[in-house]
Amino acid sequence: MYSEEIRALFEKLGIKVGDTISVTSGQDMQEGILMPRTGAGGSDIIVVKRKDGYNVGIKYKSGTKVSKLSESQPHHFLFPKASASVDRSLERIALLYTGGTIGSKVDYVSGGVYMLTKPEELMHEVPELGSIANIDVHNLMSISSEDMTYVEWQKIAEDAASSLNNGAKGVVVTLGTNTMHYTAAALSFMLKDLNSPVVLTGAMRSSDRGSSDAFVNLICSCSIAAKSDIAEVGICMHGSSSDSKNIFIRGTKARKLHTSRRDAFKPVNSGPLCYVDINGSIEYAGDYRHAAKSTGKVHAQTGFDPKVALLRTHPNSDPEVVDHYVKKGFKGLIIEGTGMGEFPTSPSIKGLSWISHVKDAVESGVIVGGTSQCVFGRVNHTVYRNLRVLEDIGVVNCEDMLSEVAYVKLGFLLGNYGSKKARELLGQEIAGEITNRIEFKKDFVE
Amino acid sequence: MKDAEYYKKLGFKCGLEIHQRLATREKLFCSCSTDLENDMKVGTVERRQRAVAGELGVIDRSTSFESSRGRSFVYNVFRKSSCLVDIDEEPPHGVNDDAVETAIRFASAFNARIPDEIEPMRKEVVDGSDPSAFQRSMMVAYDGRLQVNGRTIPITSIFLEEESSGIEGQSGGSVVYNVDRIGIPLIEIDTDPSIQTPKEAAEVALRIGLTLRLTGRKEGDAVSSEVQRGIGTIRQDVNVSILGGTRVEVKGLQEIESMALFIENEVERQLRLIELKKALIQRHAVVDRDTKELTDLLGHEKGRIIADSLSRGGIALGARLQGFAGHLGAEINPDRRLGSEISDYARMAGVRGIIHSDEDLQKYGLSYETIKVIGDKLGVRKGDAFILIVADRQQCEKAMKFALDRAAMALSEVPPETRAVADSKKGTTRFMRPLPGGSRMYPETDALPIEVRSDYIKSITQHTIYLDQRISNVEAGLSNRQIGEQMVYSQHLPLYEYIISKVKGINLVVATTLLEKLKELERAGIDTNISRDVFVDIFGRYSKGEITKAGIGEVMRYSPESARDVTRIIKEKSLERISGERLRKMVEELTAQGGKDIIREMMSRHRLNIDGEELNKLVGDRK
Repeated sequence: MYSEEIRALFEKLGIKVGDTISVTSGQDMQEGILMPRTGAGGSDIIVVKRKDGYNVGIKYKSGTKVSKLSESQPHHFLFPKASASVDRSLERIALLYTGGTIGSKVDYVSGGVYMLTKPEELMHEVPELGSIANIDVHNLMSISSEDMTYVEWQKIAEDAASSLNNGAKGVVVTLGTNTMHYTAAALSFMLKDLNSPVVLTGAMRSSDRGSSDAFVNLICSCSIAAKSDIAEVGICMHGSSSDSKNIFIRGTKARKLHTSRRDAFKPVNSGPLCYVDINGSIEYAGDYRHAAKSTGKVHAQTGFDPKVALLRTHPNSDPEVVDHYVKKGFKGLIIEGTGMGEFPTSPSIKGLSWISHVKDAVESGVIVGGTSQCVFGRVNHTVYRNLRVLEDIGVVNCEDMLSEVAYVKLGFLLGNYGSKKARELLGQEIAGEITNRIEFKKDFVE
Repeated sequence: MKDAEYYKKLGFKCGLEIHQRLATREKLFCSCSTDLENDMKVGTVERRQRAVAGELGVIDRSTSFESSRGRSFVYNVFRKSSCLVDIDEEPPHGVNDDAVETAIRFASAFNARIPDEIEPMRKEVVDGSDPSAFQRSMMVAYDGRLQVNGRTIPITSIFLEEESSGIEGQSGGSVVYNVDRIGIPLIEIDTDPSIQTPKEAAEVALRIGLTLRLTGRKEGDAVSSEVQRGIGTIRQDVNVSILGGTRVEVKGLQEIESMALFIENEVERQLRLIELKKALIQRHAVVDRDTKELTDLLGHEKGRIIADSLSRGGIALGARLQGFAGHLGAEINPDRRLGSEISDYARMAGVRGIIHSDEDLQKYGLSYETIKVIGDKLGVRKGDAFILIVADRQQCEKAMKFALDRAAMALSEVPPETRAVADSKKGTTRFMRPLPGGSRMYPETDALPIEVRSDYIKSITQHTIYLDQRISNVEAGLSNRQIGEQMVYSQHLPLYEYIISKVKGINLVVATTLLEKLKELERAGIDTNISRDVFVDIFGRYSKGEITKAGIGEVMRYSPESARDVTRIIKEKSLERISGERLRKMVEELTAQGGKDIIREMMSRHRLNIDGEELNKLVGDRK
């Protein structure tokens, strides 16, 4: 944002962002297009884009002369008509836009983010999609994934179900990556009797750069949605730092494990369901639910109780936080213990044992599930004495379930089945979130 | 004669872009080491890139061309000199303050204006040389100037930007790059196109290079060097155009000595292309876009190039160029023809080149009969030429399109191009990519703008020594003019300045040792990587009379790592200087023994231990 003084000056001179202006300060004169001022930096600096393409900032001070040279050219991205005519022999899939960096363009003149919503725009950006499927684009929302709530999960689940019930072969959901694994878990639980692939994808590098992973991610995701017989919700992102192969990870077994790499998402305690390359060829890799021939409807069961929290124990952690949640009427807690799931049981500082607090919570009717902050592996309630205590006080053993998934699951169970059934189902597999065996891999973070 | 008048008549315009790597310890936007020696490759990543619309919603012609080549890129990643930032897996860190400081120092050296805020930009590059598909670049100054031989050359802009990655190799549809050097800070100095002759271009380049090398940061009495030295650390790009021609950028000239030749050749090339255009138009030449597949006709040919490609499932495509006969093969530069230009374009699709009818087709194993059948199939008549490409279908079709595009340009223009060195001896160039336009710049939204306050600039310029001052300091300190001049151009100048700031009164000895002895040892393959403080120690001992001048070189030969090492070497190699009373006694003894040529005998026995001057004086006094 420019300072109030500069904005007033622009208004007086009839100058808008995008106009060509000149700024004279002493002997220095710069001509160029007025650029928007982003949040960063001092607001008394006027940024112009010179003819050579470079931006420079000139401080506005007494004696600085600004004048307008010409009006901005109204400017739009002009997308040529989709080059490939719609190929009826291709499968029809739905592509649900929800926001995030994938599928958006920055308009550098207005400074705004511009969503691609029309199929031809998408085809222009990623023309390869035209030979993979006929794509119906649904512009559901434009939201950063860290701002997503269960309300958005419900909306996506409902749209995915209705798309599939209306004949789409599969669904691709594009979204921000930060909470993609939560959304994937939510859709995994919410889409009942799913008989088609529902593929979540995003981008770690924004699509306004030529190196963006968005292009490959879209191609691979649409390929799975259009061609695979996997009847599950999953995340399709880069399998490595290279653009060569994507992996498709079960929605309840995926976690973002890196802040910035293209292959930030890894399967935890399982392998990918399949690999897919940029040519659309799919290599199945794990056990998955195969699409049946049946034409039964997909049912979106979207109840969700937000009165669930995800906590973490750590050295010196004060268990009074548990009491706080109980007092605030929370119905469920997922507590990430250390190691195989241990909570502090008899620490040297009195009052830091979690046991009595958790016991009270359970007795007051709160469902408490135990997971591990190790991320990988299974929690165990029998190996050590401190683990047996958890079993004794009624903490549900979440097995090899990811904490985030356990959190989503508990909210889903409470929202649809009530407390009693929720407690019963939390530790039982309903959407691939718990596996009885973890297969050996040479490198477990693969 | 090709003098200034000759070039003026041609409408000659020439400007330079000088790129020089800075000597910062870390890269511009991450903390990777800029020291590429002894690094270790830790893996590779493979990427694809595509052109995206720039800030104004337009795809630049150079980027869309690259994108249409559809290649994939492989990056070799190194342990110390590359990190996630370099392979576009992590956003940039804060800008390297040292690099910004150096850039501002240089801006002041060229009397250029520094904006109140420097705006980091992305310059789109889709030739793969950057894993992020753009190069970070910022304009740090504009409207500067430089005096060369009494003429003022405007310096239009000065940029601080990231070095690109180095190409390692190319095979088929993929290019391999090393990312170790990517992100090293570079300073780019651009002149306006007012350079009048090729010779002047070289002089301007020399002067800019010298300014970059000799503008330094004052550290007490010493000066620290701001730029890297050595092969590849400075690169010159030249922009050349003439009336009726166009602006062409010749990229990556490393030696100033050959710069004028490259420019002369580029002028010549444009002149020839203009002539060629006239001749082709006169002959009503036409590029026939109707290509024909000739695979069947060539199936039985034995020529290696054709047979190899066809046996791997390749195809042969041909096209007629009406009225081009004789013109494809006419020389436009030493060993370069229109055919070579067309071939360059075709090669961008990954093929090895084209075959054209102005060549000796026998060398491809094509029989007279086959040539005739090809001609018939393509409808070639008298005065027509044809081109032929053999490769796998996808590459072949793409290559033919590129080739015909270039052939068609011959009828309308000298294409605006970025060209690379083809032959450094002959001074010839080849097509690299279309000349970029202005649409490939957009803001680097991941990096913050850099505010430049006037007190910051002042604090930098106060600690700066400029070219003229530095040269006169060196020359004033050295009585020998020739040595002074050599020292100014020497890469050891900062070392020289450091040593003489610590050890006084022996400037000439320091200078000659660094200029001659050091070179001699380097040539002999001896590691002369001695720290500057050890140098100070060695020269200090000379100054105190502990060793002789010859002894200095001898100590250096053993590459001491510390002062203690120096002491050890002097002892072990018996390099202590013999002087005063002891020397006098030795002279007396030798004389008593009936020695005749005392000086010669003493020197031959104790060359490293005796100072010739002292001995001369001693012997002289005795006489």
